[in-house]
Amino acid sequence: MKKLFVGLTLLIAGMSATQAQGKIKYVEYDLPNGLHVILHEDHSTPIVAVSVMYHVGSKNEDPSRTGFAHFFEHLMFEGSENIPRGEYSNYVEKAGGALNANTSQDRTFYYDLLPSNQLELGLWLESERLMHAKVDSMGIATQREVVKEEKRQRVDNQPYGSFQAEIMSHAFTEHPYQWTPIGSMADLDAAQESDYVNFYKKFYVPNNACLSIAGDLDIKETKKMIKAYFGDIPRGEKIVRPSIVEPAKTAQVRDTIYDNIQLPAVMIAYHSPALGTDDAYAMDMVSMILSQGSSSRLQKRIVEQDQQAVYVGAFPFPLEDPGIFIAFSIINADVKPAVVENTIMEEVTKLQDELITEKEFEKLKNQIENDVIGGNSSQAGIAESLAQYYMYYGDTKLINTEIKKYQNVTREDIMAAAKKYLTVNNSVVLYYLPKEQ
Amino acid sequence: MKKIILLSFTLLFATMSVAQIDRSKAPAAGPAPKIQLGEYESFTLDNGLQVFLVENHKTAKVSYQLFVNHDVVAEVENAGMQSMMGSLLMTGTTSKNKSEIDETVDFIGASLNTSSTGAYASAISKHKETILSLMSDVILNPTFPQEELEKFKKQTINGLLANASDPGAISSNVSSVLKYGKQFPYGEVETKETVESITIDMCKEFYTSYFKPNISYLIIVGDISKSEAQPLVEKYFGSWVKGEAPKHIYPTPVAPIQTKVAFVDKPGAVQSTISIVYPVNLTPGSDEAIKASVMNAILGNSGFMARLIQNIREDKAYTYGAYSSLSSDPLVGSFYAGAEVRNEVTDSAIVEFLYEMKRLTTEKVSDEDLQNTKNYLNGGFARSLERPQTVARFALNTARYGLPADYYATYLEKLQAVTADDVMAMAKKYLTADNAYILVVGNKDEVANKLKGFSADGNIDYYDAYGNPVSDAEPIPSGVTPEIVLDNFFKAVGSKETIAKINSQDITMATSMQGMPITIRLVSSGKDKLSMTIKSGEMLIQQITVNGTKGKMSGMMGAKDLTEDQISDYLSSTSVVDEMDFTNKTLKLIQIEEINGTRAYKMEVSDENGSEFHYYDVASGFKVATVDSQDTPQGAMVNTSLFSDYKDANGIKVPFTTVEDNAGQVMEMKIEKIQLGGEVDSSNFTM
Repeated sequence: MKKLFVGLTLLIAGMSATQAQGKIKYVEYDLPNGLHVILHEDHSTPIVAVSVMYHVGSKNEDPSRTGFAHFFEHLMFEGSENIPRGEYSNYVEKAGGALNANTSQDRTFYYDLLPSNQLELGLWLESERLMHAKVDSMGIATQREVVKEEKRQRVDNQPYGSFQAEIMSHAFTEHPYQWTPIGSMADLDAAQESDYVNFYKKFYVPNNACLSIAGDLDIKETKKMIKAYFGDIPRGEKIVRPSIVEPAKTAQVRDTIYDNIQLPAVMIAYHSPALGTDDAYAMDMVSMILSQGSSSRLQKRIVEQDQQAVYVGAFPFPLEDPGIFIAFSIINADVKPAVVENTIMEEVTKLQDELITEKEFEKLKNQIENDVIGGNSSQAGIAESLAQYYMYYGDTKLINTEIKKYQNVTREDIMAAAKKYLTVNNSVVLYYLPKEQ
Repeated sequence: MKKIILLSFTLLFATMSVAQIDRSKAPAAGPAPKIQLGEYESFTLDNGLQVFLVENHKTAKVSYQLFVNHDVVAEVENAGMQSMMGSLLMTGTTSKNKSEIDETVDFIGASLNTSSTGAYASAISKHKETILSLMSDVILNPTFPQEELEKFKKQTINGLLANASDPGAISSNVSSVLKYGKQFPYGEVETKETVESITIDMCKEFYTSYFKPNISYLIIVGDISKSEAQPLVEKYFGSWVKGEAPKHIYPTPVAPIQTKVAFVDKPGAVQSTISIVYPVNLTPGSDEAIKASVMNAILGNSGFMARLIQNIREDKAYTYGAYSSLSSDPLVGSFYAGAEVRNEVTDSAIVEFLYEMKRLTTEKVSDEDLQNTKNYLNGGFARSLERPQTVARFALNTARYGLPADYYATYLEKLQAVTADDVMAMAKKYLTADNAYILVVGNKDEVANKLKGFSADGNIDYYDAYGNPVSDAEPIPSGVTPEIVLDNFFKAVGSKETIAKINSQDITMATSMQGMPITIRLVSSGKDKLSMTIKSGEMLIQQITVNGTKGKMSGMMGAKDLTEDQISDYLSSTSVVDEMDFTNKTLKLIQIEEINGTRAYKMEVSDENGSEFHYYDVASGFKVATVDSQDTPQGAMVNTSLFSDYKDANGIKVPFTTVEDNAGQVMEMKIEKIQLGGEVDSSNFTM
């Protein structure tokens, strides 16, 4: 069953953590062109993670060009003025490295994992991408087909695969979160030459990026090289970010989706607070009380005791702007979705009416401590977390102090958050039912 | 297509001053860093439990992995029992019920999981003893509550339903059945029936027989020293009683004798999940394991530079990802190559997979490609050492597979020593495109027909989500009788009257055996004279002569007389058309099914000696196949003859091509010369 829920576990990646054993040490600074640089030095393994996070995701897209940020991510491997088409990844791999990238609603993240003697190679590659990437019509045609296959594989041909798109399109009417990063294939087909040029000019500029490097490096030497490779790249224009505020929901939205599945599913989604707010930490803890571990309330009630479902989970899906909180259950064949919906609602009501017990609260704290200590065990993860804390929260040191944000949340705060956000009027309820064949 | 450069900013920056760096080429690497494996320690308890410890204080956590290295045990009709036993370990001990176990684990923020081969636990340092004591409790004192079994059964059966709509899960099930067969433990598939049949006693019995310390390993990683760990392990696992666990051996699955196409219909699918699979004989740590892994990396397991992803994604854009794997295993390893591709390019993608597999067997890999791949693998090895669990895994593998102590310490040297010739030798041995299962899970209506050409016999074998064969047969339409089918046959080949007049034949056919050209000449006259001459070039291999009641076989092995049964067998070949002899036999139409790519009526033809099946093309009336099976000490041996290429010969149409498949030995025979009727020289039949 695990495989089915990979998509869901990705949702909780937003809950990052820090390392308690030793603080993560880092230096950070801006180049004159606005590129933010974060460096973390650790010599335990001779490897280095070179990453660039661009502050552009699907929420920055033109509504008639959805999917463009992700498509662009694919194109950014095509080459540059100095890197012939198809050679970008070869440079990394033949040096013994690995590379990839991913795109979310809020940012696009590129990384190269290299042997530490190839740090300069990583800087060259990433600076080439930022300075003068090069894409031709054949690359565009090829990657457009590849992205369509990616959508078929991850969404169209996957049971419940459309859930993210369905939830977002039902939950948001104004904000660009109403579409997902994979976007619309028709929009990609419609893209014009000017779209590519404008997107690159607008978002792939140093003042919209964070270069985060972690691993076996020498900070002084690295700074010199960064200046040499990135220093001359001109600053771009100031980025205008979407200012659309999603209006508060005033009535529940319900819908049914028919999919190629055998077991029905129910999904309940609520508008929820933006990343980094006090309420977001409280809502994280609400999700843990509901579904982290076999002794959590929903697991115990729905899977164990009432045996209504094969799977249940509650996830915060925190985003830079206010996002959503989802309860998701895949239901036993002989149980009606309404039954599971009611059970989830009962558990939600309990959270709103009664404080969680002292013992549950203690358990939550221990779970958070465990997650925090276990996080940031790889250089790649550290580079990404550092960039993310800087970009979303504007506060890189949270990598070491975020645990305090959780520790400040009281039992009363948890109850208040449940009351404030988990309301009927603020919810979207979707049933997934098997298509008649 | 003309390339149009859409993004090019050179001019924009042309006037900028360039610092001391040369952007036009990749910077040189610094001196290569030394790759250090890391240390581990080990000790063994009196009861035989072997412990490996990797001490690492970077993170304040400790993890424990208990691996019970029992033999692979077949489950047959109770498939899923062992996995259920594994889950049940966590649901009750002599001192705690499930809820108490869950609560204790969650309360300290830890994790604990159990399986049919042991358990895994982790916790932050301050709870390192609590979690080990819990792990010991579920492993040493499980109670296997009946009501928990019932819950798991219900959940598992619902989980199977969820998987039945997931193309990846279906593909994995059916691949296993194809690769290993349901007779081999790896080929067993859980279904509702097998899960329902599981009893609590089976679980207890399995646990009691196989969970023994003397075949187990405990791997400890993290913020703990040996002096701290040893007393803890003694305390919590010292009382575990040793004993003999039963051993099992199984016949090793082998690759199919020719390539077959298997299909699972998933109505509405917009992609085909392609898997090219077969079992291989490759054991962990064998001389070939590293060489073979380099070969597979070049094919489909070296990031974006691997040939499959370059060809099928970056060049053709058929897929988001195309990969291959070649896994070693002490019992039987396996090969996989596959991708998810849009329906309309399913056949084209398979062509590319087979092309890339064959290319490695015929074209030597360039030194540059080889070195790049070695570098990629070298880098991956170095990166994997970032996790202390890697060294622990090396220690475990060295012990359980009996590898040389320096196997991993010298891995990078062995990797660098692999040559282009090694790669080609490995490809020839392990990339057997002509002995593979090509499995596609997808949309039958849109995809299946185009895949027949990949199957050596032109057939597609259909399966359900659990690897059970699905017949594509249809019932015989009402009104169609054996007589009508035979009438259509006679009309197609000529007429019964013309055939009846033929009382002799002289046919020369060409084929090959083990690469040697062979000619077979069959001459007969009347119903009692026959001769068959088999030659390779001018060399006589075998001569059979029958004249009346006497028969003789001669050849390179000397001469001997034929028995009465053999004589009558050979004389049955005097009939030019089998159907002329059906008058005294019982005929029965079974169904319409597909054989050799043709929809055909399947007719059972039987007499007191047994029965065989004849297949007649629904559309043309021609006979397309005959299938009979003989019982042998090794089980039923199936012989199939496929007929095609019907052409005129002396007034009737005969199949100029016959493919004989005798239990996997395949021969294609083509008629070179044919004379039906007329005088035949009687010297052919002198003995």
